[in-house]
Amino acid sequence: MKILENREAWAEHFKANWLAHYEETGETNFKLYEYVRNDEPPSGEALDLSQSKLLFVTSSGAYLKNSQDPFDAPNPLGDYSVRTFSSATPFSEIAFAHEHYSHEYIDQNPQSLMPLRLLETMQADGVIGELADNVVSFHGYAPDVTRVLDETIPEILGIAKEQQVDAALLVPA
Amino acid sequence: MSLLNRAFELEGIPSVMTTWRDGVARLAKAPRVTFTKLPRGASIGSPHDEAQQRRVLEATFALFNQAAPIKPVVLDETLTE
Repeated sequence: MKILENREAWAEHFKANWLAHYEETGETNFKLYEYVRNDEPPSGEALDLSQSKLLFVTSSGAYLKNSQDPFDAPNPLGDYSVRTFSSATPFSEIAFAHEHYSHEYIDQNPQSLMPLRLLETMQADGVIGELADNVVSFHGYAPDVTRVLDETIPEILGIAKEQQVDAALLVPA
Repeated sequence: MSLLNRAFELEGIPSVMTTWRDGVARLAKAPRVTFTKLPRGASIGSPHDEAQQRRVLEATFALFNQAAPIKPVVLDETLTE
């Protein structure tokens, strides 16, 4: 089974429609965009989270504002890079570079989108066996799915393996 | 994120996801996902409503208890402020 079952057809549609329109006009038109479709979901085994190491993954565009480059949020073609930082990072050190969702909720309480302190509490309560040392952050606006498949996903899976995680929590913005 | 949900599962690493964007996740056939009616930008819950945030996480973590694929679980969670 593949991550995307019909990659070639998707890529052809993307190039002939959304990307061609962008290259011709400089405008992004999501009426011309085809969201990915699959026929079958993959299978996997059950897991006891209380005995597992969990990786938190966010597509919020979070990054360390004093030591990491922000994501290229204004780029209409998206940003496919990945950041990692300690899961114990205080929110005062985190910023969000992403222009495709309102920041009104995270400005009030970042846990609405990135519940790092709550995950620590759930680890202390025994719900989660262990939190991975680092979290993974990427930029959810990434219209070219072939680049997501070739760049973003392999990098994230590599980080997951390096940290020897058993499970992942994925939170899109 | 739905494709990443699939990619983790295909690598033998179970992953769960929660999102307000049910249409995209259904089309992509994400294997373990909860859907809410929370707004974009507050996927885990309303600001400072830790009880709601914890409910969303616990319901999403419950998807680990079964073998995938799991039929998407719809949570009755909306903005509480």
